[in-house]
Amino acid sequence: MKRRTVPWDLVLVALVAVAAWFVPEAMKALFGRASISYLSLVINALSLAVLALSWDMLARTGQLSLAHAAFYGLGAYTTALLLKHLAWPIWIGIPLGGVVAVGFAVLLGSLTLRLRAIYFAIATLAFAEVLKSLVHNLPTEFAGGNAGMNVAPLFRPQFVAGQMERWEVAFLRNEAYFYVYAGLLVATVLASIVLQRSRLRHAFIAIRTNEDVAGVMGVRPARVKLLAFAVSSLFVGMLGAVEAHRVGSVLPDQSFAVATTVLALVTPIFGGLYTTLGPIVGAIGLSSVQELLKRSLSEGYLIGYGLVLVLSILFMPRGVVGVIGRALRRRRTNAQRRAIAMAGGGAPDEGASEPGAPPEPPARPGGTA
Amino acid sequence: MTEPALVVRGLEAGYGKIQVLWGVDLEVAAGSFLAVIGANGAGKTTLLRALTGLIPVRRGEVHALGRPLRGLSAAQIVRGRVGHVPEGRQLFPLMTVRENLDAGADYLPAARPRAERNRALVYELFPRLREREGQIAGTLSGGERQMVAIGRALMSDPKLLLVDEPSLGLSPALASDVFTALGQIASEGVTVVLVEQNVQRSLQLADQAVVLEHGAVRQRGTGAELLADPAVRAAYLSL
Repeated sequence: MKRRTVPWDLVLVALVAVAAWFVPEAMKALFGRASISYLSLVINALSLAVLALSWDMLARTGQLSLAHAAFYGLGAYTTALLLKHLAWPIWIGIPLGGVVAVGFAVLLGSLTLRLRAIYFAIATLAFAEVLKSLVHNLPTEFAGGNAGMNVAPLFRPQFVAGQMERWEVAFLRNEAYFYVYAGLLVATVLASIVLQRSRLRHAFIAIRTNEDVAGVMGVRPARVKLLAFAVSSLFVGMLGAVEAHRVGSVLPDQSFAVATTVLALVTPIFGGLYTTLGPIVGAIGLSSVQELLKRSLSEGYLIGYGLVLVLSILFMPRGVVGVIGRALRRRRTNAQRRAIAMAGGGAPDEGASEPGAPPEPPARPGGTA
Repeated sequence: MTEPALVVRGLEAGYGKIQVLWGVDLEVAAGSFLAVIGANGAGKTTLLRALTGLIPVRRGEVHALGRPLRGLSAAQIVRGRVGHVPEGRQLFPLMTVRENLDAGADYLPAARPRAERNRALVYELFPRLREREGQIAGTLSGGERQMVAIGRALMSDPKLLLVDEPSLGLSPALASDVFTALGQIASEGVTVVLVEQNVQRSLQLADQAVVLEHGAVRQRGTGAELLADPAVRAAYLSL
């Protein structure tokens, strides 16, 4: 007996995807040459959204992964190595980057996902760092060593004299990348929605809230967490591969940078954990804040950026979406209370011992019920 | 003679270096009601956690519904129709009553087709939950939360139900409602093992009862026998 017949979340994704189709041309019409840099900013925000949303998919099971940089780097190196050593079509590296990341995630997950909370986090951080130094030490002729490898761009738009201006070449390149990143984000969002609409959603909540209770409900925590880890690493692996093409190179310190992991976890915390919307809102919000600060403070912008993060975590522990959600929930709860009061079905005998205010969701992975 | 629903022989279990259970023996006839009483720290909750696979059995044998349980995970044990109502309700506070209940059947392929029927049974047992179906569990009173916790376990379609301290934190009137419901569940043919500190009421309900002390069974008998026993009355009923 399903009450909801219209899948509003999917309808919204479809509408946004259709609207996104017109974004590059609209920006070109509005801003002309400046649309190149604006489009770059949008691409950065899309990239951050994929990174954050893919990280959040594992966080929903209460596991804090610090290995996101590793999967990102694995994707990047997969496509770079394929280009260097095999004459395969350039696009194959993107899905394969995702597949390689999944392979490593399954391996790492089967060894570490039984560990809880902080122990898992430490194990994943160690994995990422070990992998980075391993890549550093790979034979130079095979993977470029410390100097990394060049990666061919996915698109090489040509200047056609008389039909376009010079700057339009850069615009065409950014436009093409915009569609790739937007496509990757749509795929990640669809995966997230499928997980949230499936039975797994409550399994995630159960594991995150109390793994023992999840077990007695019949949920197999190890299996569910491994699935979430695999899905999460698939998208970040593909993102790493795409970014390698856009940036034009892979380097151990750049592709396996701890900063990638930090961004992956800070963004959903800012936007709102355990939701599809939160990491996206976080990505848009943080990219905008960063850009505004860069323009207004130039040199010292990172101090301002840090301050914004600290303040938002202090005052919005459940993120932007959490603040909105809490307001909506309060309205719903009040409405329910009014309905119960009108029906005369209160619980006066216990009202004092167990106040009816809904407890907040755990602010961090691993809270209790 | 029908096979017992639960047979425990020489069960030893604990946490890390601390051993809590020292050779517990139990035999519960199918369809009967067993009360396990004992002081705080006697090992009652540990016993249920070992039976449901939440902590490993170190030594001894456990057979539930004719199946050995030792070495099985909690998820495998509940698939064998052994339900568990954990101590402290442990509901999902932001999910509705209905969602909390359905979560009890959602991950059990055998229980899923019977979810509709079992939900109707739960609502019959606790009519108040039907009225609160769409309410967020975090806004329920303690008694209602306990009803949902028992209901969620019933959604797993159990033949053996293990219940941990359901009266904890409830007013006497509400605790009484919960005990009445447990009696009804047992009368439907579900074997119930109840761990409780409310000795009087649980012994009144129980067909059989055991007293657990320092991780071992010190006394056993019918509920009425233990209720009449001077030592039990002195130790647990302050009479």
